[in-house]
Amino acid sequence: MSLPLTRKDLMIVNMGPQHPSMHGVLRLIVTLDGEDVIDCEPILGYLHRGIEKITENRTIIQYLPYVTRWDYLATITKEAITVNAPEFLENIQIPQRANYIRVIMLELSRIASHLLWLGPFMADLGAQTPFFYIFRERELIYDLFEAATGFFRGEEAVNWGLSGPMLRASGIQWDLCKVDPYESYNQFDWKVQWQKEGDSLSRYLVRVSEMRESIKIIQQAVEKIPGGPYENLEVRRFKKAKNSEWNDFEYRFLGKKPSPNFELSKQELYVRVEAPKGELGIYLVGDDCLFPWRWKIRPPSFINLQILPQLVKKMKLADIMKILGSIDIIMGEVDR
Amino acid sequence: MDNQSIFQYSWEILPKKWVHKMKRSEHGNRSYTNTDYPFPLLCFLKWHTYTRVQVLIDICGVDHPSRKRRFEVVHNLLSTRYNSRIRVQTSADKVTRISPVVSPFPSADRWEREVWDMSGVSSINHLDLRRISTDYGFEGHPLRKDFPLSGYVEVWYDDPEKRVVSEPIEMTQEFRYFDFASPWEQRSDG
Repeated sequence: MSLPLTRKDLMIVNMGPQHPSMHGVLRLIVTLDGEDVIDCEPILGYLHRGIEKITENRTIIQYLPYVTRWDYLATITKEAITVNAPEFLENIQIPQRANYIRVIMLELSRIASHLLWLGPFMADLGAQTPFFYIFRERELIYDLFEAATGFFRGEEAVNWGLSGPMLRASGIQWDLCKVDPYESYNQFDWKVQWQKEGDSLSRYLVRVSEMRESIKIIQQAVEKIPGGPYENLEVRRFKKAKNSEWNDFEYRFLGKKPSPNFELSKQELYVRVEAPKGELGIYLVGDDCLFPWRWKIRPPSFINLQILPQLVKKMKLADIMKILGSIDIIMGEVDR
Repeated sequence: MDNQSIFQYSWEILPKKWVHKMKRSEHGNRSYTNTDYPFPLLCFLKWHTYTRVQVLIDICGVDHPSRKRRFEVVHNLLSTRYNSRIRVQTSADKVTRISPVVSPFPSADRWEREVWDMSGVSSINHLDLRRISTDYGFEGHPLRKDFPLSGYVEVWYDDPEKRVVSEPIEMTQEFRYFDFASPWEQRSDG
């Protein structure tokens, strides 16, 4: 904390947790010298619901309704990783068609998330119209952006563990869809979007061009989507009761089937997807039980938010909204 | 998929005191260390040319009450240079404290606070070891296995008193488990 030169009496302002530009219930304790931000301390936990604890007492199917509440803007990503984790743990193959459907849904949710970042972000900057005409008024947005800053270098981004558009906007070409492909991302022709400046403008550019890439991927996927079943019918069978009549051939094609519960074997793994906001990971520990022993969520927003105090120092109070907006956080995910 | 050679390398070069076991499987690379050594181990992994594990993805506490050293602290690391990941796992108990890695990895700060809040494993010399997700005056560590799912207190706004009160929880019905394995079948084992 650098001491102010002009005056000794600093003002401490409490922003949030109930504040229209605070994206949910984030609370910032800001130390001000006039309008300059001297120090900023985020306080979390206002939306903590103990999601990881709940998981330990739910089967995966029972847990699925909860996961969309981590990040309520990109829900498909969370559902995808929730089914990916037990699938990888138990080595369950899924058909190609399901793979393609997932890719389409994931990319659609990326666009939805980025759009819902863009709209409120513009509103934070004082522009209400783009909320409704995000694309048409893009030129205006560019002009607005020239005011916003909040800058960090690639090395810093790596040290702070940033991921997603935050990382790609500071000169590091790192997209899990590309470098560590899951589902069938390696079958499409697309490019990792990145910028080297590391300021709010480049984060904006990365997100907007990512939406275009997503559209490209969706178009290819819709064109190439293979036929066949969309689920692995074999694993739908009851594992425990081997000779159950419900495992008979005709019952397998029933529309209304019981949820495929299965025991998670005594292993552990870390799965990750490139969520719209960054790397979303699940560290899953099984214990030969229907319930996961430990279900650790690695939310991208939690870590991306951590750099906020660095970014807002020596900025004006009004810049906090712009910088926070450009980080793109969801408190449901930060607090879990 | 992962570039595996760098972990072979680190296993061969590191002192056995730092890493006493190393496992590789399709579910990721793991190395086991003792409570005193996460710091030198992670420093090595971060700065050595052949590892360059620069991103600390997360730190996670896992509770295994049946083990002698009850907690396992998992550092999840990623090398963007070599596109590979490694997990460093440390066992600890209630009284041992793990060495913090905030200086090489600034992002560890919040994770260490979370591990303290959720599992109750503390780090030595952490500058700001406060609870992060739970309420002011919260007692206990929620992600320990002996912490009940419902918690101990419930919180509500008391209109006559005009403030939020927290009181011991009262449940009209006990929490129940069902046989989820085969909902359509009668349980054979009673």
